[in-house]
Amino acid sequence: MKDYRQQFWLGVRDLLPLVSGAAPFGMIVGATGISLGMSPEMVMGMTALFFAGSAQLAAYSLIQDNAPFVIILATAMVINLRFSIYSATFAPLLGPLPKRYRFTLAYMLSDQTYGLCSMPEQMQKNTAERIWYLAGATLALYVTWMISVLLGIVLGAGIPPGWSLEFTIPLAFLAMLVTTITSRLLFMVAIISGSCAVLFQQLPFNTGFIVAVVAGVSAGLLLPGLLKKGASSDE
Amino acid sequence: MSENLQLWLLFFAVGLGTFLIRLSFIQLHGSAEALIARSKHILMLLPPAILAALCIPAIIFTRPLTAYQVDSFQLLAALVAILIAKFSRSVFWPVMGGMLCLWVLRFISG
Repeated sequence: MKDYRQQFWLGVRDLLPLVSGAAPFGMIVGATGISLGMSPEMVMGMTALFFAGSAQLAAYSLIQDNAPFVIILATAMVINLRFSIYSATFAPLLGPLPKRYRFTLAYMLSDQTYGLCSMPEQMQKNTAERIWYLAGATLALYVTWMISVLLGIVLGAGIPPGWSLEFTIPLAFLAMLVTTITSRLLFMVAIISGSCAVLFQQLPFNTGFIVAVVAGVSAGLLLPGLLKKGASSDE
Repeated sequence: MSENLQLWLLFFAVGLGTFLIRLSFIQLHGSAEALIARSKHILMLLPPAILAALCIPAIIFTRPLTAYQVDSFQLLAALVAILIAKFSRSVFWPVMGGMLCLWVLRFISG
């Protein structure tokens, strides 16, 4: 039991350096919600229900655009699809747990947990140690996230609109976009999707967004084949 | 229906959906490995496509109610954010850098 407690605190400790990235992001999420005219209870409720910062920022900008319910829901789901990869990664670990632990830890799965707990050195531990480590890192992030959103709410109320705080949303997405582009193909996907989003932004009900994502992903699926064909016909 | 109630409904729907995504493979443990392997490629393409579609129009244009206007200050701020994001893996510093750039440009131009 003592060893497991040690693993739990090891998880908490390893998460702490990541707070420098998560806390400011949480503060942006809290402050932006307030700047859009939502009540503090609403922003906190949204944060607790989502526990996903990027989806929350995306939902903000779509709510601002008066996008229909279904589009906002679908967008948030698509942004959160990455959690299914994490779910698959940790399935062997968390799948056999009793329901209350399984559900609680699943609800709190995050990018940071994935990053820490899928490191090669973690794989050398036994299953129980890995679960306790994961629980420590996950809970630490959850608490940090809630506190930083709350801080953002408190500070956000005092920030004048002339500061264009809402511009932090596209900037945050842009920063995430830069880190997700790891190959030339993904760069092309982003360019095509971004251009289509600009071209079709006047379409009603925010359908231009969906058109852009579909165009980008289709290009990503089709381009490698087309380029290969082009290269071989040059010879 | 009041707007707030509608928003709460939306938040509950997204919260439930997100929880189900997070739980998906954990719950299905042992019976879904083949599906993951097949959908991996699309799952990799989605993030850049979504993020680009979300941010690029909002960066190029400001949004007055009538017409969309190109905002060159926002473009410069975005450029700064991209440069910082190349070196820093956190989201915080690019956002900070971009916002500072925007504020300085607006301050200088009055």
